[in-house]
Parts: sequence; C-alpha cells; structure tokens
Amino acid sequence: MAMIEAKHPGTSLLNFRTRQKLYGYLFILPTYIFFLVFIAIPFFGALGISMTEWAGYDQPRFTGAKNFINLYHDRIFWIALRNTFFYTATTTVLQTVIPLLVAVFIHAGWRGSVFFRTVLFIPVVISFVVTALLWQMIYDPNFGVLNSVLTAIGLEAWTQPWLADASTAMPAIIFVSLWQSLGFYMLIFFAGLQSIPAELYESASMDGANTWQKLIYITIPMLWPITTVVIVINIIGGVKVFELIYVMTTGGPNHATEVLGTYLYITAFGATGGGSPSMGYAAAIGVVILALAMVGTIIQFRIMKERSNVY
Amino acid sequence: MSTKVAPPHETALSGDYAKVARPRRLSIYRAQYIAGRLLGYLILIMLTVLSSFPLVWMILTSLRDRREVFSGILLPKELTLAAYKFILTEFRILDFLWNSILVTFFTVLAVVILATLAGYAFAHLDFWGKEIIFLILLGTLMVPGPVLIIPLFLQLRDFGLIDSRLGLILAYIGGGLAFSVFLMRSYFKTLPTELIDAGRVDGASEFGIFWRIMLPLARPGIATVLIFQFMGTWNEFIFAATVLHTPALRTLQPAVFALVGRYSTNWPALAAGLTISILPIVITYVLMQRQFVAGLTAGAIKG
Repeated sequence: MAMIEAKHPGTSLLNFRTRQKLYGYLFILPTYIFFLVFIAIPFFGALGISMTEWAGYDQPRFTGAKNFINLYHDRIFWIALRNTFFYTATTTVLQTVIPLLVAVFIHAGWRGSVFFRTVLFIPVVISFVVTALLWQMIYDPNFGVLNSVLTAIGLEAWTQPWLADASTAMPAIIFVSLWQSLGFYMLIFFAGLQSIPAELYESASMDGANTWQKLIYITIPMLWPITTVVIVINIIGGVKVFELIYVMTTGGPNHATEVLGTYLYITAFGATGGGSPSMGYAAAIGVVILALAMVGTIIQFRIMKERSNVY
Repeated sequence: MSTKVAPPHETALSGDYAKVARPRRLSIYRAQYIAGRLLGYLILIMLTVLSSFPLVWMILTSLRDRREVFSGILLPKELTLAAYKFILTEFRILDFLWNSILVTFFTVLAVVILATLAGYAFAHLDFWGKEIIFLILLGTLMVPGPVLIIPLFLQLRDFGLIDSRLGLILAYIGGGLAFSVFLMRSYFKTLPTELIDAGRVDGASEFGIFWRIMLPLARPGIATVLIFQFMGTWNEFIFAATVLHTPALRTLQPAVFALVGRYSTNWPALAAGLTISILPIVITYVLMQRQFVAGLTAGAIKG
C-alpha cells in the first residue's frame, strides 16, 4: 500500500463522490463514443434505410412500408424465411442432443479422453470461411474425399453432388455446422456435468437405478439450466447464419439453401454483380432478422431471470 | 486406421483382465463390462476420427503433387512442399497474414483497454445513469452482424474509411466492445469492494485504485476477453470482405476466400492456404488450451 500516495488527506465526502462520478464517466466515455458511432447510429440507420428505396450511391427516397410489403409478396423471401426456420430448428435439436450425449459419454471417464476433448475442440477455433471451404472440397462431386471413400467401401450408389443437389445441400451444410460446433457445446455440457454432486449418483446406485435411469432422472434435469443456454445460443446463431452457407453454396442451388442472411447480403452487395444493389430492400430483410433474434434474446432473458431466482 | 489405434485399448483391456482374473464367479458381469468398455472406446475413436479426419485430409492434400491430387487415394505417393512454396511466393499469403496480425493486434489491444476501463466503472464506480447506460450497451448484443453491415458500410464510406484497415479496425472495436465490457464487468463484480474502500481510506486516487489494486487482480478476466476478441477478430469474414476492396489490403479470411476463385483447380495450393491460415489460431489454442476452453465456455454461459 506504500505505493499509493496519500494525495488528498482532507478530501470531503462530497468531493469524493464527485470524483467517483467524474472517473465513472471518464472510464466509459471512449467505449461509448465507439458504441454510438459504430453501433447505435448504424442501428437506427438500418431502421431508416429499410423504409427507403436506395441503390447506395444516389439519394435515398422515402417509401414507408413499401419494402416490407414487397417482401411479403417476394417468393424468394419466403423460401429464405422457411429455410432459416428449418436450419435453426434442425441445428438447435442436433447441436443440443448430440453434444449432450457425447458429454455424458465422455464424463463416464475414459483413458485418453483429455486428448479426445482437445481434438474435438479444434474445429471450434477455425473460422467459418475455412471450415466452409474445406468441406466444399470434401463434398466435391468428382474429386471430393467423401465420394471417394463411399466408392472405395462399395457404396458407390450413395455418391452425390452433395452441395449441388437441392435435396442434399441443406443437410450437408447442417452436418458441417454440427461438425464445427460439437466440441463447443460438448464442453459447455461437460462443465455442467462436473458441477453435479456425485452423491446424487451414489444414492441412486444404492437404490438400484441403472445407467439409463440415472441419465433420465438425474443428469438431464440437473443440466436443464445449461441446456436452455445451449438452445438459446443455437437459436440466435441459426437465425443469423451467413458465412457457412454463403461460402459453400451462395444460397443455391436455385435458392435451396437461401437463408435471410445470404438473401440480405446478396441483395445489398450482389453475388455475382447481376442487377443493381438495393440497400433499402436489404435493410428491410435485416429488420426481419433483428425481430427474430430479439425473440431469441427475450427467451434468453426470461431464462436468465429464472436462473437468478433459483440460485 | 483401426489397426493403428488398436494397441492402446488392448493394453487397457489386458489391464482390466489382470484385475478380473481373481473373482471367477463374476465373469459374466466382467465380460459384459469389458464389452461395454470396448464399445465405448470404439465410439470414442470413431468420434475422434470424424472430428480430425477433415483436417488431416486437408494437410495430406496440401502435401500432394498437383498432378496426383485426383487419383482418389487417401495417402499421397510422395510428399512435396511445392504447394506451400507456391502459396508463399505466388499468392503471397504472408502479406495477408500480416494484415490479419495488424488488424487483430490493434483491435484486441483497444478492446481490452477500453473494456477494462468501462467494465470497472460499471462494476464499482457510482455515477448517475449507470444502470440504464449499461443496459443500452447490453441491448445491442442481440443485434446480428448482417443487420449492421449495410449502414456501417455506408458510414465508413462517408468517413472515407472504406477500403482501409483503420476503418475495419474501428468497426471491429465498436462491434466487440459491448460483449467485452459485459465480461469485464462480471469479472470485476467478483472482486471484493473492500479493496476499493481500503484504497480510498488510504487516500489513493480513483485511477490509482483502478490501476494498482484492481487491474492486477483482473488478469483472468482480461485473459477471457483477450481470447474471445482474438478469435472473433481473426476469424471475421463479412465485414473484412465488404470493407476492404484492394486485394493487397485483405485480411486472411477474405484472402483465402478469394483463393478459391483464383486457383479453384489447384487443390494442394488451396489446402496449403487453408492450413497456413488456421495455423496461428490452432497453435495458440493448443498452447493455451485451458484458458481457451474456460474463456469460451464461460463467455457462452454468461452471455
């Protein structure tokens, strides 16, 4: 404590309060400037732009709700919305159930499971773009390793142009998402499992419960708070999915993997340069994504509130 | 593949057998137990292979000769570093790597400093409007990136910061701060207020309390923010691809994406490019595993 110089031995209480306030504002000022300039203003900008017709370089023209009315009549928008729901629902279920099972399995204690956890987590630190490009090569119809392996083990009939076929493209992308995120969600569950008291299992064993009963009556209920967190992260991630799909299929073939994120980006900046960009329309799609993400967040806040009541 | 991994679980088995040998009556349960262990290890190995195979295949492809790529065999006949040489000299991947290092370094530095200051203020200083100001900041966490990309792009253009690494860094700082402030505030809240009171009684200045007492204690929280921000910035694609147009300015993610357009048939080069681009983050992860896992899962649970 010697290093702290006693500068103001006679400072009054009022002065001390004022000083605290001053430092409070001083400490948050730089953050708030960044926040205002790069988040708040663009955010309201997005809402404003969604009510205009604007190519980005000319003068924006106010058109009210016209973009939203057009969206309502836009076939591709509905396809994108449906695909977004499908992607979100499927990834949420798969990326909750499978990591949970893997975590429970690993938690049983196996030689070398530390190594396993390390390996499983590596895809988590790799970017969406690299993941997408890598799997694009794996799925390649002619030279991809997936079709090669299938041919080699005599399943030639199963070979597919995975990302080019409308019926397999979306499942193929969902599998990639699962591959990448498995280690992440697994470790969240694993952390939860470690916090369950061992006595619960011991007394259940004494009462003659088998492994399956222990899973259903102890593990899953005890993990429920963590499970809800995983579900919400999945929902928010699903609603705003973009990179994985943009890189692998650009929303194709024939909009089979079009989601709101890709439709927004392509509308705003063009996929291949065809047609003039329409910022207003794209911003309107953004408002829809925002609304969906808000629903997810409201659920999250509800759950967090419940949790804070529990603990 | 399975012949390679057989030895470890054989030893595990024989170890179990040694223990089992004595109580003969329980041999049926024992057999069941062994079968269960065997099945378990089989599942474990399958999952490990499934997780790592794409990456192993990527590295193997990068070491192939260009003409030998499409031969359909898993293992290359001979290994060559030709693809790496190509990607380093023709594609000049180190330039993009350098851009990524620059952008990531300054973004992380700024976010850590600003988020530490603001997080401390929100956790321990008393000032009017604190709660509401914090809630507004927190509220923006739910705004997805794609929503902001249009107005942010137009705004950077108005500032003359489009196609500039500085513009990208500023946008990244703005985008990363809310969550990092949230993490730092949670961490500072776990530190006892008594330390601050003691500092005040001793007559330390407010900045002195922050700098000399609280900051040294906040290292684990700072580590979490650092890892989160490092990973997020290093891997970011949409903003980098939209803001930077000049190829020489590109960071790794958009550069690697462009690689496909340029050398779509040169698979060893593609694979080498992907391998180089993930090396920095994978090495960091392997070296700082515990912090990575703790940081990312804690962030997820709190966020």
